[in-house]
Amino acid sequence: MPDLLALLVQQSVNGVYLGCLYVMVALGLTLIYGVLNQINFAHADFVTVGAFTAFFTATRFATKVLGLPDAGAYLLSMFTALGAGALLGLAVNAAVFAPLRDRGDELRPLIATIGVSVLLENAQLALFGPIPYQFDSPFTRETIRLGRIFFSGQSVLVVGVSAAVIAALYAFMRFTFLGKALRAVAQDRETAGLMGINPSLLIGLTIVIASALAGMAGALLGPVLVLSPFAGASLIVKAFAIVIIGGFGNMQGTIIAGILVGIIEAFTVQYLGSGLIDLVVFVLLLVMLVVRPTGLIAERKEENV
Amino acid sequence: MKLALKAAIFAIACAMFGAQAQERVIRIGVVMPISGPGSYFGVMGREGIDLALEQVKQPINGYRLQVQAEDSACSPLQATNAVKRVLDQFKPHIVIGDECSDASLAIAPILEQAKVVQLNAGSVTMKLTESGYKYVFRIFPNAEQQSLPLAKVAYERLKARTAVILYEKTNAGNDNADGFEKPFVAMGGKVLAKIDFGRDVNDFTAIATRIASLGKVDVLPTFALEGQTVRLSQALAQARVVKGGGGNAVQMGSIWLPYGYDQKAGQASQGYVRIVQFDPTENRKIVQDFIKAFHAKYGADKMPTHINAHAYDAILLVAEAVRRGATDSDSIRDRFTKMKDVEVTTGRISFDPKGQNSDLSVVHFVETQNDLSWKGLSWR
Repeated sequence: MPDLLALLVQQSVNGVYLGCLYVMVALGLTLIYGVLNQINFAHADFVTVGAFTAFFTATRFATKVLGLPDAGAYLLSMFTALGAGALLGLAVNAAVFAPLRDRGDELRPLIATIGVSVLLENAQLALFGPIPYQFDSPFTRETIRLGRIFFSGQSVLVVGVSAAVIAALYAFMRFTFLGKALRAVAQDRETAGLMGINPSLLIGLTIVIASALAGMAGALLGPVLVLSPFAGASLIVKAFAIVIIGGFGNMQGTIIAGILVGIIEAFTVQYLGSGLIDLVVFVLLLVMLVVRPTGLIAERKEENV
Repeated sequence: MKLALKAAIFAIACAMFGAQAQERVIRIGVVMPISGPGSYFGVMGREGIDLALEQVKQPINGYRLQVQAEDSACSPLQATNAVKRVLDQFKPHIVIGDECSDASLAIAPILEQAKVVQLNAGSVTMKLTESGYKYVFRIFPNAEQQSLPLAKVAYERLKARTAVILYEKTNAGNDNADGFEKPFVAMGGKVLAKIDFGRDVNDFTAIATRIASLGKVDVLPTFALEGQTVRLSQALAQARVVKGGGGNAVQMGSIWLPYGYDQKAGQASQGYVRIVQFDPTENRKIVQDFIKAFHAKYGADKMPTHINAHAYDAILLVAEAVRRGATDSDSIRDRFTKMKDVEVTTGRISFDPKGQNSDLSVVHFVETQNDLSWKGLSWR
């Protein structure tokens, strides 16, 4: 393979991998916005909780208590992170978001997400300390080489899990009763209520699903991130940019935007310099806001999520 | 009446004595990050400070050391607020901090205006001691003191002729990168690329791919925090750029990296050459005593890092200044100015007229071996 072609393919592979990581984080954000019209500033901290859950499951519980091999321990940790995310979402919704929503105020739940974010960061700081943890999945150090193209086992796992999650989420939304009910709530909460759907229950379910996704994203990102209580903060701004570029609340748009941003980042590193990544991504964001404010995929509101 | 007068005089005398006794304290403000990505600096720094305070808890010349710490979050804005709070509430004679260069630069003019000594134990930016501040002192080697030997070793010992410089986009990263580039190019080396990145970058695969596409690279001087350096080393190994991944390039680093990086990076760190100031394997008594005391306080399995050691040394230096008669900020400054050859765990301290420690006698190079241990190199 000629040098230039190999380089282009390699950076595209790098970009798709990075994009899938972004998509995993951004999906939960867009799901919540699509149904609740609410931005969740605590989302990145749910990702961090997932990463820590996966870390302690993989390195302590699964290997030392259950005696699982490293690969099995890591795979198990993905599910515990998913569960931890879901439980956290359930608890935060019941204790904070739902009571505030019931008061009919839109601003307070938004501010509450900032409060939850600060609370989670500091709780994790108190529990785990500020010194970064080294979380390596057994797949991180496995390098697969196809000719001159290389990728880590972890990147294959990330792309595979992302694809599976996207497919499962799509099937859930399109073909299950709950998914259809969620879309109905997103379309018109009041009318959905009149049709016998319980909007509060479905909003709670949305938060639980989004939080579970964040937890799983944390398990996938843990071996990539510098794992500390503030790890998620490095992702959230990029995730918001992706959600806006994709079209707020639009899942297909978010997926395309995430992968696009990943690829743009990889080629920015190659040809412009890594110091310009944020500049390029946010110029793209501004262009989108000016030229196509509805995002990459403009849909009617009712077709979102 | 006489009795009442006596009682009043006694009460006033007691109050005066009490006030005098209260004043016989050297107040040390500490401004370090204990939140945010650089918070491990503050935690390790605090460990070193607490250990040193335990060892100097007896009054020195009648003065005891009292510490109040504030969080800077490694951010210039937060550091500025933190130092103003310390100055306002605690009225320190000296402030130890910050670790991060950007934050250190932000607090320097405030302390200068307040005529309070700033003792820096962890920032590298040249501007800190090159801006003409009279109250700034630094025991940490500056960017030039770290990068110049790296450039010399790269060119003369490793016979490197091409380099790619990797650095975080901060004052510290910029100064270190420039500090390497200028002498390396002047000696005849060629810098193929200078690659900077923000502290929010997590995945370095694209950067490693770019480096692999640049042709033959001999050395990769790297100036970043530990977490990012670990990920960077792993990505470079995966791309077969560095020795740890079967490539030919040698990754080089500065004192930034705490002890333990090699274990975290694993095989990818093999062949990593770096400059160190605090070396736990060093035989000097003060180093071994410090390690022993550190183990006793924090556990036998926890090895102190250079961050622990620098913070510990900062307190020892303040104690030494008090031992030499310092009683306030100006006299601490005066004693620091005259300090020569004071032995601490990170070497010997002799401040130059700009307040920079000029003694680099213990600074040396180590190379990470295949078993991830350090091999001390005789290069200076």
